[in-house]
Amino acid sequence: MTARGADLALEVRNLTVGYGDRAVLKGVSWQVERGTLAAVIGPNGGGKSTLLKTAVGLLRPFSYDTLNLLGKSPREGRRSVAYLPQREEVDWSFPITVLEVVLQGRLVKKGWLGRLGPQDREEACRALELFGLTGLERAQIGALSGGQRQRVFLARAVVQEADLILLDEPAAGLDAQAQHELAGLLVELSRAGKTIIAATHDLDCLTGCFDQVLALNGRVLAAGKPSQVLTEEFVVELFAKHFPKVGAGGEVTVHEP
Amino acid sequence: MNLELVFEPFQYAFMVRAFLGVSLVALVAAAVGTFVVLKGLAFMGDAIAHTAFTGIALGLLIGISIHLSALVFALFTALGVVVLTRVSRVKDDTALAIIFTGVFALGIVLLSTSPSFVGDLNSLLLGSVLAIQPGEIAVIAGFALFVLAVLGLFFRRFVLVFFDPLGAEAAGFPAVAFQTLFLALIAAAIVVSIRAVGVVLVVALLITPAATAGLITKELKRQMALSSVFGLASSIFGLYLSYFFGAPPGATVVLVATSLFVVVLALQALRRTGGKA
Repeated sequence: MTARGADLALEVRNLTVGYGDRAVLKGVSWQVERGTLAAVIGPNGGGKSTLLKTAVGLLRPFSYDTLNLLGKSPREGRRSVAYLPQREEVDWSFPITVLEVVLQGRLVKKGWLGRLGPQDREEACRALELFGLTGLERAQIGALSGGQRQRVFLARAVVQEADLILLDEPAAGLDAQAQHELAGLLVELSRAGKTIIAATHDLDCLTGCFDQVLALNGRVLAAGKPSQVLTEEFVVELFAKHFPKVGAGGEVTVHEP
Repeated sequence: MNLELVFEPFQYAFMVRAFLGVSLVALVAAAVGTFVVLKGLAFMGDAIAHTAFTGIALGLLIGISIHLSALVFALFTALGVVVLTRVSRVKDDTALAIIFTGVFALGIVLLSTSPSFVGDLNSLLLGSVLAIQPGEIAVIAGFALFVLAVLGLFFRRFVLVFFDPLGAEAAGFPAVAFQTLFLALIAAAIVVSIRAVGVVLVVALLITPAATAGLITKELKRQMALSSVFGLASSIFGLYLSYFFGAPPGATVVLVATSLFVVVLALQALRRTGGKA
C-alpha cells in the first residue's frame, strides 16, 4: 500500500460496470482525497448512481484495475462508509422513530448479535443535537420534512463514525432553503474531516460549494475543480439534450441527441 | 351468561388442544404478520402456503413429518424467489405466481395417489384444528417459541433492512441474510398455521389482525402487540362460535378476524364523519 493510496477516500481505475449485460459506465477512473467535498454531476442515466453503488459494493463491477475505499478493499473499507440512497429507495412510510434511525448507525457495526447500550443512545442524542433535531427523537421519520430527513441520515452517518459519506441525489425534492442548509451541513462535515461525495443531476446550489467535480455521462467527461469543469460551454454540452432552447423570437427547439 | 357454558368446550381434550394450538398459531402469525403487512408481502405469504401444501402432501405419502416436509418446501419457495429475482429479470410477483401454482399443482397430483385423497385434501385446504394430536402441540409450541425468539432477538435488525436495505448493505451489514431470514420466519409461521386454518385461509391469520392493528396505531411495537391481541381474540372467539354453532373452526376464526377488521374500520369512519358533522 502506497502512502498516497491511504490518503485517498476513493480510488477508481478503469472501472466498467452496469446492469445485466449492458455497461452503464465504461473505463472510469477517478480519485478523491480524504476530506474533500466532491460532486458527481451528469444527466439522468449518465451513471452517477451506478458509480456510487459500485463504490459501496451494491453493484459488482464487470471489470476494473483498482477499486479502493479509504485505502482498503470495498469489503473492508465500507465499514467506515455511510451511503444515503436516493429518496425512493428508502421506505419512509415504515413506522420508525427518528432516534431509532440514528441508532442504526451503531447497529450496523454490531454484526449479528451485538446489542445497543446506553453509550450508543448518548451518542445518538448528541448527534441529534448537533443537527438541530433535539425534540424530534420520538417523531416518526415519515412525518419529517425532506430537509429534516436528510439531517437524520447525516446524524446516523456521524454516529456510525463514517469517514466517507456518499449521497445519491440528496437535493432531490428539497426547496431552495433546505438545499442551502444541506450544502452548509456538508461543508461543515468536510471541515470536520469527513469526505463527502454527492451525486446530483441538476446544477443546484449544492454544486457551488464543492472542492471537486466529476462530470459523468457513460464515461468521464471532465474532472477537477468546479471552476475548471463547470464552464458554460461544457455545462451546455452536458445538459443540452435535456433542456429545450427558447430562441429570441420565443420559438422552442428541442436539442436532438 | 352461564359460566358452565363458557367452560363446556374444555371438558373435551381435543377442544383444549384446539384452543391451545390455534392461540399459539394466531399469536405467531400476528407478530410476523405485522412486518408482512408493512412490507406488502401478503402475496408471498400466499405462495409459501400453497407450496407448503405440497410439502405436506409429500410428507403424508412417504410417511415423514409433515411439518418438516412443509417447512422444506416453504423455505424452498422463499429462497427460490430471492434467487430468481436476483439472477433473472423476472418480476417478483410473476416469479412467485409461476413457482407457487406449479408446485401447488404438483401437490394435488401427488396427493391424488393416496387412497384417502378427498379427506386429506379437504383437511389441508380448510384446516383440521380439532384433530390436533397431543404431540403436535409440542411441535407448534416449539415453532412458536423459535419464531418469537428470532423476531425478538433481531427486531432492530429486521427494522433496519425493511427501512433502508441499501444503506445497511452499503455499511457492510448482512442485509440480504436478514431479508432471507425473515422469509424463513414467514415460512415457519405459515407451516404451523396450516393445520389450524388450512392452506386457503392461512394468509388471513398473517394479514388480517396486523392490518386491523395498523388501523389503530402507527407505532410499530404497539401494532405488533395489538395484532397479537386481535389474532388471539379471533382464534378463541372463533373456536367458541364454531363449537356452539357446529361451523368449520378454521373458517370461523378467519371470519371473526375479518369482522374485527370491518368493525374497527367502520368505527373509525363513523368517528371521522361524526367529527365533521
